[in-house]
Amino acid sequence: MADKPKVYALSTCPYCKRTKRFLDQHKIVYECIDVDLLDDDKQDKVLEEVEKLTGRRSFPVVIIGKEVIVGHDEDKLKKALKL
Amino acid sequence: MSDAKAERVYCPVCLAKFKFEAGWKEGSIVICPICGQKLRLARSADGWVGDRVDKGTEKEIRERSENFARLRGYEFSDIKEELIEGLLGKHKRFGDFYCPCRMEHVPEYQCPCKPTRGGDVEKNGRCYCGFFWKKT
Repeated sequence: MADKPKVYALSTCPYCKRTKRFLDQHKIVYECIDVDLLDDDKQDKVLEEVEKLTGRRSFPVVIIGKEVIVGHDEDKLKKALKL
Repeated sequence: MSDAKAERVYCPVCLAKFKFEAGWKEGSIVICPICGQKLRLARSADGWVGDRVDKGTEKEIRERSENFARLRGYEFSDIKEELIEGLLGKHKRFGDFYCPCRMEHVPEYQCPCKPTRGGDVEKNGRCYCGFFWKKT
């Protein structure tokens, strides 16, 4: 795989936790950004990225190659990761 | 007939006013009928206000959400405890019980958030984060 999957999450959100747990359980190496814990400047930049990718500010967002998955969706994750 | 004039109580959680009921007095403990918050009545220069009982504690957010669900006839999902944990995390990091699934830490997203108080559960069957659900 070219790039590691990337997860945009909120540290307090149970659905984001489930997505991270799912990836961990499947031993997927991924980059994770807890957007709510970032400094203001960095946060603005990341939120802009998320909005550009998804058109909204909803979490989790998982980027796998060209796939953008919004929300905790194990079927979509499995398909995108070919599990 | 100033006694007959309908007085109102300001709730600092939902930032709205509700009717002052007969028999209430300074120090009475009441439940906000809009958001379910337990309040201690106090008089201020602007009229009656409710002070949050157990402010900032796990007890406060648990009671508030239980009261809100009971008042509206909603039920909780199976991830209730995870959402409570998220709400406590929001309080710890951002100072109040904001929706655990939202980025914005503003008064209207204090749980139960404004869209939920405004009827999102009736419309969508659940609130934004899935804490409150319409009974099936």
